[in-house]
This record gives sequence, C-alpha cells and structure tokens, in this order.
Amino acid sequence: MTNIRYWLAGGLALACLAAVPTVGSAYITTFLFTLLISYVLAQSWDWIGGEMGYINLAHFAFYGIGAYAFCLGLRDGVPIALCFAAAATAPAIVALVVSLPLFRLRGDYFAFATLAILPLTELLAFNFEFTGGADGVVLPPDYVLFDAYYLAIGLVAVTAVTGIWLVRTRFGYALKAIRNDEEAAEIVGVRIFPVKAKVLILSAAFAGVAGALQGWQLSYIDPTTVFGLDVALIPIAMALLGGSGLILGPVVGVIILSSFNQLLIIGLPILQTAIFGLLLLLIGRFMPGGLLRSQAVRDSRWTRFLGREHHEHLAEADAPDRPGLPLPRAADVPDTENAGTPILECRNLTMAFGGNVAVDDVSFSIAPGEIVGLIGTNGSGKTTLFNCVSKVFEPRSGEILFAGRSLRGLRRDGASRAGIGRTYQIPRPFSDLTVRENIAIPLMNREAEDGGESVGRREALALAAQFAAYVGLSNRLSDRADSLNLQQKKALELARALACRPRLLLVDEVASGLTPTEIAAFVAHIRELRDTYGITVIWVEHIFSALAQVVDRVIVLEQGELIADGPLDDVVRDERVLRTYLGSAAPETPPC
Amino acid sequence: MDAAIFFQIALGGLLLGGLYALVAFGLSLIYGVARILNFAHGTLLAVGGVAASGIFAATGWSPLVIIALLVPVFAAFGYVFYDRLLQPLTRRTHFEYTVGSVLVTVGALLILSDIAAWIAGPAPTNIPIDFHAIEIGGVIVSTSQAWILGGIVAFTVALHHYIRRSWFGRAMRAVTQDHAGATICGVRADRVHALTFAFGSGIVAVAAVLYTMLYPVDPYMGFSLTVKAFTIIILGGIGNLMGALIAGIFLGLAESFTSFFWATQWAPAISIILLLVILILFPQGFGRRKAA
Repeated sequence: MTNIRYWLAGGLALACLAAVPTVGSAYITTFLFTLLISYVLAQSWDWIGGEMGYINLAHFAFYGIGAYAFCLGLRDGVPIALCFAAAATAPAIVALVVSLPLFRLRGDYFAFATLAILPLTELLAFNFEFTGGADGVVLPPDYVLFDAYYLAIGLVAVTAVTGIWLVRTRFGYALKAIRNDEEAAEIVGVRIFPVKAKVLILSAAFAGVAGALQGWQLSYIDPTTVFGLDVALIPIAMALLGGSGLILGPVVGVIILSSFNQLLIIGLPILQTAIFGLLLLLIGRFMPGGLLRSQAVRDSRWTRFLGREHHEHLAEADAPDRPGLPLPRAADVPDTENAGTPILECRNLTMAFGGNVAVDDVSFSIAPGEIVGLIGTNGSGKTTLFNCVSKVFEPRSGEILFAGRSLRGLRRDGASRAGIGRTYQIPRPFSDLTVRENIAIPLMNREAEDGGESVGRREALALAAQFAAYVGLSNRLSDRADSLNLQQKKALELARALACRPRLLLVDEVASGLTPTEIAAFVAHIRELRDTYGITVIWVEHIFSALAQVVDRVIVLEQGELIADGPLDDVVRDERVLRTYLGSAAPETPPC
Repeated sequence: MDAAIFFQIALGGLLLGGLYALVAFGLSLIYGVARILNFAHGTLLAVGGVAASGIFAATGWSPLVIIALLVPVFAAFGYVFYDRLLQPLTRRTHFEYTVGSVLVTVGALLILSDIAAWIAGPAPTNIPIDFHAIEIGGVIVSTSQAWILGGIVAFTVALHHYIRRSWFGRAMRAVTQDHAGATICGVRADRVHALTFAFGSGIVAVAAVLYTMLYPVDPYMGFSLTVKAFTIIILGGIGNLMGALIAGIFLGLAESFTSFFWATQWAPAISIILLLVILILFPQGFGRRKAA
C-alpha cells in the first residue's frame, strides 16, 4: 500500500463517519462518538507510551481537567470557543508544571508517580467548592450530540495527522531515541527534557479537548466519570491491545475493544466487566506486543500492512552517491584564531564514587589533530575519564577545557553539540531502530547555531547512508540495530558518533575481538578521520599492536592516577608502566 | 486537647496503618522479585474481604477459621496466576513483558471485582463481631481491636523472621537484589517468582479478614488500596517489611489525624501527596543510593 492510499482510506473512513448522523440513529451516533473519543485518548497516550516508552497512568487526569475546564466555563456563560480553548490549555499548563518533577523519574517510578496523580485530581474535584463537589457540573439542557459528534470527527482527524507527523519528524525520532536509551540519546545531542515536556503537554492538550467533548455530549460530569480509576485504564489498554507504537495500533485497539464492550452491554445482562477484563488478560498473555504484532496478523497478506513498524514505512535505502563522509574536510576549515589552544585539557580532574576515587587528580592536554592512546589495567579509570569528558558524570573537582572552553555545567547533549563524540565499550545502539535511523538521529539534532547546517529528517536519513558505507554497514541499512552482531554494533556506534560531527572522538575498546585485517581497516579509518577530517582521537584500547600503528602518544592510567604520558616507545620502557600494566618481564621490544 | 481523644485517634490510625502495611507486604515482595506492577493486588484484598464477610454471615465461624480457609485458596490462586499468566511473558522482550503484565493484571482486576460484585452485591459489607469494649485510661478499646493489633504485630514479626531466616526468604531476597546472579547460584527464579506470588497473595488473605473485621469492604475499593500499597513500598523500601510496617503506620496515623483535625474528605490526599513528594525528592527510590 502506498502512502496516498493510506490518506485516501483515512479520508474515506472519516467521510463515512460524518455521514452517520444523517442516515443512522442517535444510538449508533452515540456509540461512534464514544469510539472517537476513545481513539483520541488512546492515541495521545501512545505518544508517551508507545513512542517514548513511559507508562503514563495519569493520562485520564488531563482528560478530566479538560472536561472540568470546559463544563465550568460553559455553565458560567463563557463563549463555547473559549471553553474549548480552556479545555486544551488548562491540561497543558498542568502538564507543563508536573513535567519538571515527573521526568526526574524513570521506568516504574514514573508509573508509580503518575498512578498517584489521578486519584489526587479526583479528590480535588470532590473537595473543592468551585468544581461542585460530588454533585459535579450540570450543563444547561441542549441537544448537542450531532455538534459534538462532528467536532469529535475533526479532533480525530487532527489527532491522526499529528500522530503521523510525529513519527516522521526529528521530534518523533527524539522520542524513539529516549525510549531506547536515554543516556545514548543525550550523547548524540538530543535535548531530552524539553522533548519529554513537549510530548506530555501535547498529549495532555488532546486528552483535555477529548474530555471537553465528552462532557459537552453528556451535559453532566462528576469526579467519578472523568477521573475514575477503573475507566482510566481502558484507553491505555486499547492502545496496548492494538499495538503500542504502531500507527494503526490505537485505531484497531479502540475499534475492537469499544465494539466488544458494546456487544457485551447489549447481549449480556451480567458480568460484562469480567468478560471485558478477560479479553484484556488474554491479549496480554498471548499477544503482549498487541494484536497487530501477532504472528497471525503478520502472516496474512491481507492484514500484514496493518502491523508494519514505522521503519517499514520508510522508503527503501538508496546507495550513497558520494564516497567518504559528509563531514567538513580539514583542508576546507580555516585555522581558528586560537590555533595554539589544546582541543582538550584536563586540569586536576578528580571523580569519585563514594570513597572510591576512580580518577585522581589527572592533568593532561591534547593538541588538535593528535591521536592519543589511553591505556591502563581494567578499573584504572579510563572509561570514567571518558564519562567525565562526555558529561555522563559531573567530575567532583578539577576542570575540563574543550577547545579552551570549560565544560562545567554543560549537559551531555551540550558536550555532544560542542563537538565531543564517543562510543561505548559495550555498544548502546537504539535497538529497535534501523541502522540508518540510528545514524540519522544525531544528524537531525544538529542545529545551525552549533556550526554546520541543520538538516531535515529526509536529508538526515539520506546522509546516514554515507556514514554507514564508511563503516561497512551499507548492506544492513534497513535492519534493526538489535539484529547486528557485536562487531557490527561497534561499527554502528562509530558511525553514530561520527554523525555527531565531532572535533574530538572518544573511542572505547573497539578492536577487541576483531581479526588483524579488521584492526588494520579500523586503524586506517582512525588515521583518515584525523588526516582528512581533522578529528582528534582518544582511543582506549588494550591491543597494543593496534595502537602502535596509529597513535602519536599514549597516556597511562593506574588506579585513577596518570602515571605516564609520552610516545608509545618511551612509555613501554617506563618502570611504573612495566610494573603495573605490562608486567615486569616485558621484552625489550614493544609486545605486539 | 484531651489526651484520651489523642490516644483514641492514634489507636485508630495505628490499626489502619497496620492493615495498610499488611497489604503492602505482599505487593512489596512481588514487585521486588518479579518487577511487575500488580494492579490487581488491592482488589485481591477487596475480594477476600467480601468472601470473608460472606462466609461469616453464612456460618458464623471464627475469623481465625476463615483465615485458615482463605489463605491456601489465595496462595494457590497467586501461584497459578503467575505460573499460567505472567511467567510465559518473561520469555518475551522487555517491552512486551511490561505491556503484557499491565494488561494481565488490569484484566484480573476487572474480572475479580466484577465477579465479587455479581456474587455478593456491590454494597459494602463487614464482619460484625461484637466484642466487649474495655476502657484503658479513657481510651476505649474493643477486644477485636486489641486482637487485630496483636495479630498484626505477631504476623509481621513472624514474616520478618521467616524472610530473614528461611531458605525461601533468602532466595526471594537474592532474586530481588540480582536476578541473574541468583539464577547462576542455583536459585530457580521461576519457582521463586511463582511462590512469591503465592506467598504475597496468602498475606493478603490474612489482611483481608482483619481489615473486614474493622472496616466495611466493597468489591470496587481495591485499586485505591493498591495505590496506597505502592506508596508504602516506595516509602519503606522495596522488599523491606519493617520499612513497610513503619511507612504503613505512618500513613495510617497521618490519615486519622488529618480526618480529625482538618477534614475527613482530605485524608486520602495524604498518601498521594506523600508518594509524590517522596518520589520527587528521591527519584531513585527512598533509601537507595544513586547507582555509581
């Protein structure tokens, strides 16, 4: 199915829905109305749940706040357009306020906190006088079903388009990066907090308008109907049932669960809720990825398109047209005015975890264009040093200067934007995204003020192919990162780090496990990165033969202290290095 | 203020808090071991309470007999619930495990409360045992309150020691701290998970009978109890029973005094606000250091 067909199908569905009030009964219109509202709730929840991977149990609170804002306004004679505006802005403001404390929490703790918000809002609605307490708010009698229904269709259209827009923008990719690995997302330059706050506000505003429409149609709300705990879980269950994170997941979940519920109400006098619960339970047990991810749906040629993951909607990968990397070349970059400044300078850097001093008073400086090996026994502080430079850790004391500028107070994404790229010893790619998307995320997150032009999503995905080709992943462009083997993941990490357009590249143990030929190829890459693109490299490695081929000098750490700094040939003859790292029986020649 | 009134309120808070703590124990162990947000946990108490009051109304048996009857049933339910419905999800991806367990436990919540309401009716019920009241320095204590208080204390101490000393307790703690590590050391994590569900559900049965002796229960009250229990385990530390007891009593006292001195309708806000404040102040969980 092509994209045009999707749009046509969607438009046709909405047109059919719009025709219902004229041909159908009030009963069917009411049913479809609740279905439309459920879709808006399920879909807007899924932007946080499915896209960003946070279980937000407070979603219904925003629905209720919107309903109250609208109904209170309408009761007091405020023009209806203003009431709808209030229904969108009130939850958005609440979302903005709560996002700051809420997003300090991760994983289940976030779920706990959001779980508490809903009963709190219910209680507030019960206890405040202006909300009418347990009596709720009664609107002046007026037959608004059809008006509310048409507005709901409009809201659904806006929601669907927003959802489709969302998965395809830089913003959507930021969400996906956060879902996979927040630290890695920051390292490649995603500003995670504003992204989280924005998506919560967006989802809250949609839920609020949905609540307003529902309140308008019912012409009566009370705390239990709009904040009730049991009903609150239903839209979430709908999104999960269809397939969280899939474009059509919430649609399918809503249609199935709403219809099922309606059938139960008609056909079964008792135990409706229990049967409904049983359906949820069975889906959770047998198709936890959602109905659309189940084997039966994916195997049938008629339904396969429903369960397509977002990256399967992307156009096929095209081979890069130019060789090399789309990075500024060293020859083209004019020498900066402060040419004598070291690219990286650490002054008395100390990092400790409790009483364990991992990096102890380390000072060194690295000139632009150097390739420096960083060696030392396991646990000597190499990776901790990297983590300090890339701002994963805030050092306890000391100063880090990058191209003369202090890194103090900078966040991880700030370090990345400043031009520090890194790889991890154990690769941390964004597992459920493709190779191409992994590389494109840092490209999209560059902005004009960071130096270099900002690129759109489409262009970033195209450029990503060149980086992938550089590290030898051209044939895996459309494969998910979690399908790669360890070496390919390491290659992907290198490509992703390069896509941050670093001026300083921190490479953490890439060569272990590579064959000599692969090591030679990797060494050639490192050299080319310096010679052609002017990238300074610090390389943590245990394999001496690899380092010996390319490094200008090495820095040796031992128990967090810097014990040697100089050309490799000198360092391997250093008494302390021999004793602590290489072993005292080291031969005259460097061990290879 | 009259000291007698103060102690009267404190006693009420203590009892309520002790019962909250009992509900939280099971959830704490289950969450610690299996990392599942068991939304159905409080509903189990509601169902247990409804069943207990039904049995009492029909037979007039002693609450102790009812406990002895309900505990094995609940434990068996917990075991089968995990073993048949949740354990198969552990073979899936992390995402599917989380989503699947949410759907399964929410489904169970709906099923349990609806069936209980169908059988016993949606109205609140309790175990109306008349014990005589005794007066200690102006504070009126019914003997049932005294029994329940004593029961909670004895039960908590017994549980605490069981979990400290027994092999099952050690296995549970090992799995809580490091799942992979415990498995490597020969702990059969699957069995421990299922047994923890059984154990936690059994504790809920005890809590349910005690709760119903003091307060009315209805089939739909479960979820708000689950929220309270989550508050308590965040406050007291995951898998830490003594912490949960202190947190539960703190919560019970806070609610009682709020209802008395301020307004009854704001009492439920205490646990919610407490949970939010604690999570915001200690985003990594209370009593846990930031991972190095």
